[in-house]
Amino acid sequence: MNRGAILWRVASFAVAAGFIGLWQLIANLKLVSPVFLPGPDRAWASLVRGFSSGDLWSKLAGTLEHMAYGWLLASIAGIAIGAIIGSSRTMRTYVAPSLEFLRPLPVSAIIPVAIAMLGLTQAMALFVISFGAIWPIMLATIHGFAAVEPRLYEVARSLQMSRLAVILKIALPSASPDILAGMRLSLTVALILSVVCEILAGLDGLGHWVLLSARAFRSADLFAGVILLGVTGYVTSVAMSLAEHKLLAWQAAQH
Amino acid sequence: MASAAKRLDAVPGTPAPQISFDAVTLQLGGKAIIENLSLGVRAGEFLCIVGASGCGKTTALRLAAGLYQPTGGKVNFDGQPMREPRREIAIVFQDYGKALLPWRTAAGNVSLALEAAGMTSAERPARIEELLRTVGLPGHAGKYPSEMSGGMQQRLQIARCLAQEPKTLLMDEPFGALDAMTRQGLQDEVLSLVAASGATVIFVTHDLDEAIYLGDRVIGLLPHPGRIGIELAVNLPRPRDQLSTREHPEFLRLRRQLFDFIKATEQ
Repeated sequence: MNRGAILWRVASFAVAAGFIGLWQLIANLKLVSPVFLPGPDRAWASLVRGFSSGDLWSKLAGTLEHMAYGWLLASIAGIAIGAIIGSSRTMRTYVAPSLEFLRPLPVSAIIPVAIAMLGLTQAMALFVISFGAIWPIMLATIHGFAAVEPRLYEVARSLQMSRLAVILKIALPSASPDILAGMRLSLTVALILSVVCEILAGLDGLGHWVLLSARAFRSADLFAGVILLGVTGYVTSVAMSLAEHKLLAWQAAQH
Repeated sequence: MASAAKRLDAVPGTPAPQISFDAVTLQLGGKAIIENLSLGVRAGEFLCIVGASGCGKTTALRLAAGLYQPTGGKVNFDGQPMREPRREIAIVFQDYGKALLPWRTAAGNVSLALEAAGMTSAERPARIEELLRTVGLPGHAGKYPSEMSGGMQQRLQIARCLAQEPKTLLMDEPFGALDAMTRQGLQDEVLSLVAASGATVIFVTHDLDEAIYLGDRVIGLLPHPGRIGIELAVNLPRPRDQLSTREHPEFLRLRRQLFDFIKATEQ
């Protein structure tokens, strides 16, 4: 890292520290009632207390579980369906209009449908989360499969490769940058929907924790939950970027 | 001109051609790209095809590869009709950048052909190393195509084609995108590789000097629709040499003849 990059990094931390200082100041001056706005000191103390008593661990684990299962299901189904649609021009022509109709549909609109069909259950949450998270993955996969260099298919033909080998060795790796980008977008969607489902269905997780804390006017606990959700989103997104960087090392060589 | 294949067949004791075009016609969208093309290529022959752009030389090569099926006539390989591409026929594409897998290293790209041929993972590394050495890329096994120069990428594509252990090597303007020095080096390497393997070659180029320098025979195509306009036997001694071959009176005579032909087709 060069000097300029270090300076920028320092500056960005200074800005973050400034915001926290401002927050502390507002809380100390009681510009907002402490019932609604705890200072960062109280939020931090609540965070530490939550973890040491073990409560927050299980809530965090609950949210991560919802998020991970929904996201994995969406990834598997999204890549499989996207590959089938993307590798056939006929399929793209027939299915694309239906996708254009379904894609902009707000996922919140299907939550009542899911609750009516599946009840306030884990299955409902899994369905809603994966339904919301599947779109970026599926659309990216369709695009990735449709954009495979035709020359490579000719190479595959002259090597008499099997259909499966063509998918695994040519189409899938060629589409992998698109697919991974779609999976990164879906990660955020999965987290949002996990929280929504926990709030609506009372499932064990940070969403439920945040809801109960707010109802009991435990503002410090509420903020601890929100901070933890922010950290979860950030950490999973960074982990995904690292995985992308590692899997797509060949792309870095192109520049 | 349509009698090239038949003439070869008619000579007693001449083996049947490895690749034969029998009155081949290809129409795409109602337009004839190639019409009534007959041609035989002996096993081990180095045939060059030249012609103005749009004369169907690349199309003829794709027919020989089985990537296109003729709309009329027959393309035969070893006496059997070509219905689809086969591993014994390898193609070197001009656009090496598109024909290589950017996510696989040089070794991985060569490996693709070995995997397709069903070679076990234990046998592959030694063969990959040997092939990369053959094309002059030893020590580049771990590089991605994007880290290699154009000439190196084209060598890599040739290595992958050699991994198919082809009976026939089809080359579509393989050096068209390379600079003159790299091109001459690769011409000589292809000649020695082909001499060592005994493969049949059909080599498409727009460079007339290159065609005469490399070939046993040069065919010039006429455009709209593609058909044979000139056929020249190249009786120049082998091994060929960049300086002395190109100064040979026979080389100059053929060059003159071919240039006149191309000039006439362009008018």
